[in-house]
Order: sequence, then structure tokens, then C-alpha cells
Amino acid sequence: MLRYGEPQVAIGIVFLLLALVIVAVFVTVALQTVSDVPFERVQGVGYWLRKRWLALLCALLVVVVGISLFNLPYARGGGARRTRVHVTSVQFAWIMTPSQLPLDRPVRLDVTSRDVNHGFAIYDPHGHMIGSVQAMPGYTNKLDLTFHTPGVYTVRCFELCGLGHHLMQASFTVR
Amino acid sequence: MEAAAITHPRAAELGLAKPRLSERRIALLFAGTGIAVFAAMGLAGLTMRLAQAEVIDLSPSWFYRLLTLHGAGMLTGALMAMMGALWFVVRGTVPLSLGRMLASYLLILVGAVGVIVATLVGGFGTGWTFLSPLPFYPAGQWETWATDAYLVGVLLVGAGFFVFCLDVLIKVTATYRGIQRPLGVLFLRGREDTAPPPQVIAATVVSLEGLLASAAGTTVVVSMIGRTADKGMQLDALWAKNLIYFFGHSVANLIIYLAAGTIYVLVPRYAGRPWKTTKPLVVGWMFTLLFVTFAYSHHLYMDFVQPGAFQIVSTFASFGASIPVAVVTIYTGMMLVWGSRYRWTLASSLLYLGFAGWAIGGAGAVLDSIIPFNFRFHNTLWVVAHFHTYLLLCVIFWALAFLAHLLEERAGRTAPTGWSVLALSAMAVGGYGLVWMWYLSGVLGVPRRYAVEPSGTATYSLVGSIFATIFALGFLVLLAEFLALWRQRYEVVERVSGWTGGRYLARRRLEELREPEEPLARIPEPAGTVLATPVELAGALAVAVACVFSFLPSIVRASEQSTRYHHLLHAGQFLLGAALGVLVASLPAVFRRLGPRASDLGIAAVVAAPAAMMLAMVPAVYEPLDDRSALHFLYHLGIAALGLVAGVGAGTLGRVTGRLAVILAVGMAVMYAAGVGGT
Repeated sequence: MLRYGEPQVAIGIVFLLLALVIVAVFVTVALQTVSDVPFERVQGVGYWLRKRWLALLCALLVVVVGISLFNLPYARGGGARRTRVHVTSVQFAWIMTPSQLPLDRPVRLDVTSRDVNHGFAIYDPHGHMIGSVQAMPGYTNKLDLTFHTPGVYTVRCFELCGLGHHLMQASFTVR
Repeated sequence: MEAAAITHPRAAELGLAKPRLSERRIALLFAGTGIAVFAAMGLAGLTMRLAQAEVIDLSPSWFYRLLTLHGAGMLTGALMAMMGALWFVVRGTVPLSLGRMLASYLLILVGAVGVIVATLVGGFGTGWTFLSPLPFYPAGQWETWATDAYLVGVLLVGAGFFVFCLDVLIKVTATYRGIQRPLGVLFLRGREDTAPPPQVIAATVVSLEGLLASAAGTTVVVSMIGRTADKGMQLDALWAKNLIYFFGHSVANLIIYLAAGTIYVLVPRYAGRPWKTTKPLVVGWMFTLLFVTFAYSHHLYMDFVQPGAFQIVSTFASFGASIPVAVVTIYTGMMLVWGSRYRWTLASSLLYLGFAGWAIGGAGAVLDSIIPFNFRFHNTLWVVAHFHTYLLLCVIFWALAFLAHLLEERAGRTAPTGWSVLALSAMAVGGYGLVWMWYLSGVLGVPRRYAVEPSGTATYSLVGSIFATIFALGFLVLLAEFLALWRQRYEVVERVSGWTGGRYLARRRLEELREPEEPLARIPEPAGTVLATPVELAGALAVAVACVFSFLPSIVRASEQSTRYHHLLHAGQFLLGAALGVLVASLPAVFRRLGPRASDLGIAAVVAAPAAMMLAMVPAVYEPLDDRSALHFLYHLGIAALGLVAGVGAGTLGRVTGRLAVILAVGMAVMYAAGVGGT
């Protein structure tokens, strides 16, 4: 059973608010169409406001993307102190070694594929989707994680890989 | 007077170009075909949603076939509709070629047939993205011929778009004597007081980006066709994914920019205010060109082996691409509408709703472009939600708006208000309901492209299906309105009412349809030689001389240490031919004999020769010749001859387009060498 993940809900609420603001703006502009305002006046205010709007968006770009760069999911370093987990995908199964992972200790997942592209998506024991990484033939994607919740985690394929794509599931235990 | 009836009373004062009959026909052909494809693909989409809702029984095999057809078909349909629309609005300023547009239509149509046969008959079901090597691992679901049919289909659709982009670039650069003017650079730098109309700037940017994207697509698709013939060929999966998404994402993205070019012309007709080229608009389109080029890599965020620089540039480009949209196009659109006594008709209402779809879908996409967020949303239904928001609720709305505009003008009346409100309300409620279910499912972590979704999520699919049905009902009402407008083209209408209370007289004379066409402006073609100065000619000669070394036996032997080096050698031989071809075509004596007819052949040459070169580079073709030195030499000579064809062809396309075409042709050979290995 899937459950709403906390970060996803937060992002969803931000999006909902943005969408509501956009709708409000469009309704306001639509309601204004009954009036006849000289275009010069619209331009005067509009261009003044547009500069601020541009500055706001540029600031958001720098701040939001800038902060995000400090929270990238990409593995760094050799991972010598991490528990190494080898994940190999094949139509339509996952092979994980080991399949029991330690609790509260850093883990590095080396994810690859023997045939086609797959996606390694992890759901925690409560059904929250906690992230994904692609499994690509000829390459190994390294994902660093630390599991803080004990129990059985579910893996689902997140890249269309053929007829059994939706059946391609596996599980591993964290304790 | 009749223009005022359908559009804003002040629209007549804007001096907007009156479309010719041929333009109306081409636009109707493209938009009509695009909307018909949309309707058919929408039905496929609804079928899949009902299957996920467990309302109907659909086997996974058929689900993935329909998924592939739906994705490829929707993009093709939307692309066609907006190509026709942009062509329509640009041809008032730039004499685009009717014949090339029809050639483009035929290529896309034949390509679409390939995709339909591959999926419905052949069982091909990789999703429209056909990520290598999935097409070669069918799990018993399709034969090699189905893979070939699909790939050839995609290749032809890409070729159709390539021809369109080439024609736009050839004509625009010929009309404005170079590339700087149609991009607005001279205006921006203060060298000129007047700028080209915004739709020309949009068309120029789209054609440049479209050529880059199509070249990447051609490279990967042809190499995959080669792989079906030679199982020993090794395609690098990361290389293929980069090229497929550079092609697929960029083309999908360009659809909306084609649409943006169109609304620059349509919105003023209903707002009664001009959409002028301003310096912010020029800067916005330059950044759009830059951002669209680098944004594609967000599809590879979760491929951690993708170079980190690509990921960082992509996240800035993906987020940044929203800024010109929000600050220039949508914002200016709202300024034009604000207090304008906007003329609310079926067409103009669809236009307005489309802006909202772009803004809301764009916000969803921007959030997904942030890498840590994408870690949670990658390939969930959130992605499906945001691209449906701006494709369904913006691009399709604008395609329908364009069609409604043509039909309302043609009929000399607007669609009845009541039916229009009903249709649009159903489409807006149904459309937003449909996408909201996907947004919610994305938040829940439901994966996309699942024939059977995780247990407990069928309710989302069911509610989504109900909303999709509401959308479909609204769409049917809209089609009925279109049909009524189509039938009443000769009717004389005295008066029509506006939604906001405005009333305008409307008259349309029968004779108008029989007016002789205003001739197109004649511009010299090709516009300038690819190489113009003695230094440039000498440079091409130097390149050719350097490439002669690629024929030396010792270099050929050395290259055989690795398939990729060997392919690079072939690229060198192709470059030799291309350099010589451009050189020959640029010689004054030769160039004088080239006319507009030669450009048609030139387009065919730059489309076909690189594809033929890459097919000839399939190891199964040349490996049997390795022990037969004479044939081996002739083979290498043939590669150079194909380069020569591409070079001469490019020489007929004018200075700007020709240069770009020859760079892309050689670039395809190099890209092929970078990603294709042997056994």
C-alpha cells in the first residue's frame, strides 16, 4: 500500500499554492477585459512591474537551484566505509547482494543492468517512495543512502523495460 | 469590416497580413490532421486510463502498444498542428515554400503509418522513447521488422520536421539577409531601429533548435536501425539515451515554442493591441534557444553516471527556461489582454485558457527540474501530470484555438456562445481533473507507464478516467461546433454577440474566397554561398587536404584497432567529401548556375546523404570488405562521395543554412563514431 511521502506532500502543497495564484491572476485579468484601459497606461505599469517580476524569478533561480546543488543525491567519494550493495537488474527481476541491509549505517548501492534500462525505486516499509536511480547496461550508478526505519522495503522498476515492467518488484530487509 | 466581426474592432487598425487561400488550406490541412490524430490518440489514452482503473480488461501487451502509439502519436499530431499554425502566421512576412511544406506533410504522414503498423500490428511497445537497447529485447512481444517499422517511422517524422526547419531557415535568412537580423540581434545592439515581427524570431529559434534536435535523432535512430541488421553492433546506452532525449525532449519542447510564435499573431487580433518585438522579447528568445538546448539532460538526472556538469547546467537551463516564458510571452500576453475589451470568442477563449495551462504546467515542471525533488518524482505520475498540463491544456487548446480562428474567419461568424461555454467548461474541468489525479498520484509515488498500477491506487485512475470522459464530451461538442462553422463558410452573417456584451456587425462576401492570390515576395535563393571569401575557400581546401590522410593505408590499418576509431576514420572521409562539395558549390561559376530548384535537391541531399552514410557504417556492411582491398578502398571512396553529395547539397541552401547543414552532417558522422562500437 502506497502512502504520501512527506517531501512529496510539501512539494505538492507548494505547487497547489502556485497553481491557485496563477488561477487568481488569470481570473483577475479576465475580469479586467470588460474595461477599456489605454494601452499606454497598461504598458507604463506593466513594464515597471515586469522588471521586478524578472528580478524575483532570477533570484528564485539562483537561490532554489543553488540550495538544491548542496543536496544532490549523487554518491561522492570511494564509499570505503559504506556497506556495499550490488544491485543487478534483468528483465524482469532484481538481484540484490546482500538482501539484508544495516539500520542507521551508510550504504552504497551499485546499480546496473544486464539487459535494458530499468529504474530502481525504493519504498520504505510504510509505503513512502524515498527515491530512485536508473539501472543502465554498461554503467554502474552509485546511490548512497542510510536507512533509519527497520522493516521490509519494496523495490519497483521505474523505467519501462518491456512486458513485465509493472511486475518487476523485489524487497529487501533493513534491521 | 468582416475582420472586426470575428476579432477585436481595433484589429483592423493593426495592419495584420491577410492570409492567402493557399495558406488557409495548408493551415487547415496541418491543424485538421493534427487534431484528428489528437482525437484518436486521446481515445487510446482514455482506454489505458480505464484499464488502470480496472474498468476494462486490457492485456499488458496491448497496454504497452497503446502507450507507445499514444506518446508518439500525440507528439506528432501536436507537432503537425503547430507547424501548420506557425507556417501560416510567418508566411505573411516570409515567403515559405508550399511544396516543401507539402513534402514535410507527406514525410510525417508516412512516418506515422510506420509507427501505427509497428505498434498495432507488430506489437512494438517500448514507449515512444524507444530507449536503446529495449527495442532489441522484445521479450517475445515483437519481431525485428516491427522495430524497423517504428524506427523508420520516427526517422521520417524527424525528416519531415527537418525539412520544415530547413525551409524556414533558408527563407528567413534570405528575406532578412543573414541570421542576425531575424534573431533580432541587430535591433538589440541598436544597429537597426526596426525589428522583425516576433513570430519570425520564434520561427528562427525553433528552426535552429529543430535542426540540431533532428540531427541528433537521425543519428541515434539510424544507428538503431543498423543494430537491427547487425546484432554485433554495440550501442552505448548512455550515448543513446542522451541523443534520444536531446531529440525527443527538444522536439516536444519546440511544439510549445511553435505555438508561442502563433499566439504572437492571434492574440492581437482579439485584444486589438499589437504584439511588437521589444528588446526583452529578443533577449528572451536567445535565452530560450540556449536553455532548450541544454534542458534535455533533466531526463538523465537519475543516471548518476551522466557527467555532473551536464546535470548542473541542465537544472539551471530547465528552471531558467521558464523565465522567458513567464516574463516575456505569458506576461506580455496578459498585458495585451488587460483592459482591452478582449473579444471573447471560441478561438480567443481557447487562447486565453492555453496561457493558464502553460503557466500551471510550467510550475509543475519547474519543481520537477530541481534535482533533489526529481529524486522523489522521477518517472512517477507527477511527470505525466505536468507535461499533460502544458501539452493538453495549452498546446492542444492553442491548436484548437487556431483551428477555431480559421473556421470562424472562414464562416464569417463566431461559434454560438452557449455551446462554446459548455464545450470549454467541460474541457477545462475534465482536463484539470485528469491532470490533478496524476499530480496526486505522483505525490503518492505511483510509477508512470504501468499496465497495472500498485494496489490501492485504482481509484485515482477511475476519477481521472471520469474527468477524461468529461473532457472528451466537451471536445465532441467543440468538434460539432467546428463542423457547423465549416459548413457555413458562405453564409452572410449580419451580427454576432460577444461574451462581454460587445456587438459587432459581420458581413462576409462570397467573392472574397475567389479573390486571386496575392503573389509571394520574391527573394533570391540560395541566399549567398556557404564560402564567400578566399580565406574561407582556402580553409575548406585545407580541411579537405588534411582529410585525404584518412585514405592512407597506414592510417586505415591503425584505425582498425577499434570500431569507434574506424568509424571516426569514416567521419574523416565524409568530411573530405563534404569540404570538397561545399567548395565546389561555392565557386562563382557553379553557384551562378544554381537556382531555387537546386535548393529542393539540396534539401533532399542533406537529409538523405548523412543517413545513407550512417547506414553504410554498419559493421556488417563493411567488415566483409576488409580482406578485399580494392572493394574496401571503393567503400571508403563511397563514404567520401556521400560527403560530397551532402556538401554540394548544403552549398545550395544559402550561407547560413548551408553552413549549419554541413556542420550537422559531419557532426552526425562524429556522433555516430562516438557511440557505436562493434563486437
